[in-house]
Amino acid sequence: MDKCIACGLCAQKCPKKVDDDYNAGMSQRKAIYLKYSQTVPLKYAIDGEHCLYTAKGKCRACEKFCPTGAINFTDTGAVVTVNVGAVILAPGYQAFDPSGIAPYGYGRIPDVVTGLEYERLLSASGPNQGHLLRPSDHKEPKRIAWVQCVGSRCTHTGANGYCSTVCCMYAVKQAVVTAEHTHGDGLNQTIFFMDLRSHNKEFERYVESARSNGVRFIRSRPHTILPGKNNIGVRLAYVTEDGGRTEEDFDMAVLSVGLEAPPDALELAHKFGIDLDRYNFARTSSFTPVTTNRDGIYVCGAFQSPKAIPRSVTEASAAATEAAKALLPARGTLAREKTYPPERKTTGEELRLGVFVCSCGINIAGVVDVEAVADYARTLPHVVCVENNLFTCSTDTQVLIAARIEEFNLNRIVVAACTPRTHEPLFQDTLREAGLNAYLLEMANIRNQNAWVHQKDPAFATLKAKDQVRMAVAKVCRDYPLASMSVPVVQKALVIGGGVAGMTAALDLADQGYPTVLVEKSDKLGGAAWHLNTTWKCEDVRAWLGRLISRVDNHPSIQVLKNARLKSVSGSVGNFASDLEVGGNPMNVAYGIAVLATGGAEYQPEEYRFGQDPRVMTHHQFDAELRERAAMVQQAGSAVFIQCVGSREPGRMYCSRVCCTHSVMSAMRLKELNPDMRVFVLYRDMRTYGQREDLYTRARELGVIFIRFDLENKPEVYQEGAALRIKVMDPILGRPLRLEADYLVLASAIVPHDQQELTELFKCGVNPDGFLNEAHPKLRPVDLTVDGLFAAGLCHHPKPLDEAVSQAKAAVSRAGVILAKAAMQLDAIKSEVTAACDGCALCLDVCPYRAIKLEEYGDNGHARRRIVTDKALCKGCGLCEATCPKEGVTVHGFTHDQLKAQVDAVLEALG
Amino acid sequence: MIVIHVLTLAQEIGVHRNTIRNWVKTGRISAKPGPGKGLQFTPDDFARLCRDFNLAPEQLKTMARTLPGGDVPPLATPASPLAPRGQDRPGKMVGAVMVVGGGIAGIQAALDLADSGYYVYLVEKSPGIGGKMSQLDKTYPTNDCAM
Repeated sequence: MDKCIACGLCAQKCPKKVDDDYNAGMSQRKAIYLKYSQTVPLKYAIDGEHCLYTAKGKCRACEKFCPTGAINFTDTGAVVTVNVGAVILAPGYQAFDPSGIAPYGYGRIPDVVTGLEYERLLSASGPNQGHLLRPSDHKEPKRIAWVQCVGSRCTHTGANGYCSTVCCMYAVKQAVVTAEHTHGDGLNQTIFFMDLRSHNKEFERYVESARSNGVRFIRSRPHTILPGKNNIGVRLAYVTEDGGRTEEDFDMAVLSVGLEAPPDALELAHKFGIDLDRYNFARTSSFTPVTTNRDGIYVCGAFQSPKAIPRSVTEASAAATEAAKALLPARGTLAREKTYPPERKTTGEELRLGVFVCSCGINIAGVVDVEAVADYARTLPHVVCVENNLFTCSTDTQVLIAARIEEFNLNRIVVAACTPRTHEPLFQDTLREAGLNAYLLEMANIRNQNAWVHQKDPAFATLKAKDQVRMAVAKVCRDYPLASMSVPVVQKALVIGGGVAGMTAALDLADQGYPTVLVEKSDKLGGAAWHLNTTWKCEDVRAWLGRLISRVDNHPSIQVLKNARLKSVSGSVGNFASDLEVGGNPMNVAYGIAVLATGGAEYQPEEYRFGQDPRVMTHHQFDAELRERAAMVQQAGSAVFIQCVGSREPGRMYCSRVCCTHSVMSAMRLKELNPDMRVFVLYRDMRTYGQREDLYTRARELGVIFIRFDLENKPEVYQEGAALRIKVMDPILGRPLRLEADYLVLASAIVPHDQQELTELFKCGVNPDGFLNEAHPKLRPVDLTVDGLFAAGLCHHPKPLDEAVSQAKAAVSRAGVILAKAAMQLDAIKSEVTAACDGCALCLDVCPYRAIKLEEYGDNGHARRRIVTDKALCKGCGLCEATCPKEGVTVHGFTHDQLKAQVDAVLEALG
Repeated sequence: MIVIHVLTLAQEIGVHRNTIRNWVKTGRISAKPGPGKGLQFTPDDFARLCRDFNLAPEQLKTMARTLPGGDVPPLATPASPLAPRGQDRPGKMVGAVMVVGGGIAGIQAALDLADSGYYVYLVEKSPGIGGKMSQLDKTYPTNDCAM
């Protein structure tokens, strides 16, 4: 494996073709293959099942042609024994196989594909290189239908009773992305759904924008898919909500298949001795969402329950926290630090530039003529090596860059690709591994700032890309090596908010030995969880909460500050300090990281006669009623729940995620107390995602009646005599119903607490709904945009208790990455005061990080003033440099000289 | 053999006594019914029971009767069941974690642990990591490239 250079000669010579799993069997690969072009590790592998030599004993072509002798047919599988202290199970999921659902014709009708297959059809590395072509006749489809809940929310034909959680959103995404792949008019994307489940952050707005961009949503589950003429295209037969039978022709149909437990779930469970639920997902409790029944064995991701990427990533970090906690005494005993070769001295060398132009699949190459840009780069001064790569960020390209640096003795690198925000660290690392200083690199963002914005004008985009490359080349010529500095880390934590998320985070931090200060604004720990009776798994919340609070109160490493408020924040990651006001007394704390867990509250409705009639109450109030006056509730003849009160409407365009399950739980509780009670749930889309779907099914079995309404046609609540009545339009009967309610429960929205003061102190952002913004919605779901800050719980987005707990644990893991080290490396892009500074102090006011101070010094007996900058606080934003009228302060990596060179280069084109 | 009354156990675990009996029948708790309303546990089964249901063995022992055939063994701390026992490093905790599955969840868990001072074995059955996410084209709600 060490010898393989991934040249691909073996695969070229291999005579055996096999269906490519990576492309869902829609294309072919060889029996010796790379899983995909960016695979890690980037090494060809022999598929023993299909290789002619291993299967039939002859061929060995790859061995003959391999230039490095990397192929060894005598190699055999070996059993390796490793000693570990803990295990994290993350085997993922398998996509549901719809061949068993005969009426959908999957496998018989070529133009019926699964969601995953469609994903490959759209992908630049897919079977058609990103050109959307339907399987039957390889023509571009215009009318595409998505059929939701295939294999999910269904209890027959081998399907699963639970909701797979992700399919609604992936179908909407595919419908949206399809528009970028098709040409001309007549595009029709239709999604057939039962309930649209877009219950996560920013999803509701995403669906609305899809709707306004012409994606058609039809509430129906098609019963049959028929082949089109000559088995090309499809015909969908479905029943509309008013009962009308309809058939409609489409060019192709996508089955939004669900997620199933991995095929080896049973085997894994047996080997590790862990419990599974009835669907073969790992069983965990809401209070310890990643802990199995066996100590030292943790689970995360889709093996725990079907879920999308952010929750998988969050749980992964949470599992890491659990493992780290369990193995605390052994921390650092086996881990090793990454080492780099000594840095090459480049000062005094003549400039030798390498330029790498990325195609980014079709992201850039689809608009910009990358070949022309590469050719142009060759004509620029000092450029000695130019390459065009399909993905410059792929592992093989990193190897290539390192090889070119050595081969051409390059000392400056330009990467024309995407944004330095996400990819600069990767390329800097490549430079360091090749012995170059990381700061001898420039990136030209020809994707986000070019290909994405000039999609309609390829000629202009290509011209602009050349300008961008010329600018980067001009600047990199003036780049010089920079050394990063390291600062000590205060190995203490601050947690803001004493609810479930805050307390969980504080406990896990303290359990790992980090002294933690827990700040609570009220005089009581517990937060919103005090209002809840049970979790969706019927666990007693209040009893657990009591135990949690007593652990926090008694933990020697946690200092609980009640009635406390944060007054100031200074410093930066690893080194924060704050003034607090605790019960009127000032106090200050120093900490390396902070977890923001300020929680949320129930929206107090203004609609549906709330506040005017005592029978109208919110979920929190009704939970208290069930808790304290169950005997009285039992007497009620009827109860009505109204969903989405204050959620999913203009002004609060998000789903509060927990209310559907909460109403179903309460409705079932009522039926349990009094089976004769008439219980109605008025909803817009039932969003009992994951295994919560079982509750919805059970509630209907118990006789709870669910009636759907539209946003435009909300239920009306009025009083008639003493009776509380609700009028609602039943979409199936097509006529209004009048219900009487002894209890009217409003499933009101979750709103964040006002966080303006806090976000201003920490300079972190919130979304339009007032929830904290994460650094990346998929891959960094608990990190905030400011380094060293993490979010957990309702302040980030509405979520049930188990998800708040795993998010808090995840925040601890992410924080642990910083706190585990006594010192941390800082970026080398910092401001520096030059001799031209005369202490005018203009820059002091503009510095957003308060990194600049004024000092006086003596110069030949004259008292003079100048500024000094604090390197640890400075973020290199450049405001001081831009403000200074006399070049008295400069930022390394963005000096006047470097920026002027860039500006001169762009003006060159104008003559 | 250790004998615990079925009602005592039901109270300790917080379920109905018939649930306990069902669990015994289905094998979720391995024990032999009898004598009377008691349940007989071997020392190993007793240790497993305590671990599975998070019960304090010492406290439970005070409520148990011991029949000839074995005493309640002292329980080893079950913090790291996979730590090597005996031979090379007796009683020493191993600062390494095995992560099974190299998809996005496995990768994130592995990175976090490696960055906080633990050695990680990332185990993946296919020739490359990346899992299902590597097969996706874009991700919602930002339409970012999944790769």
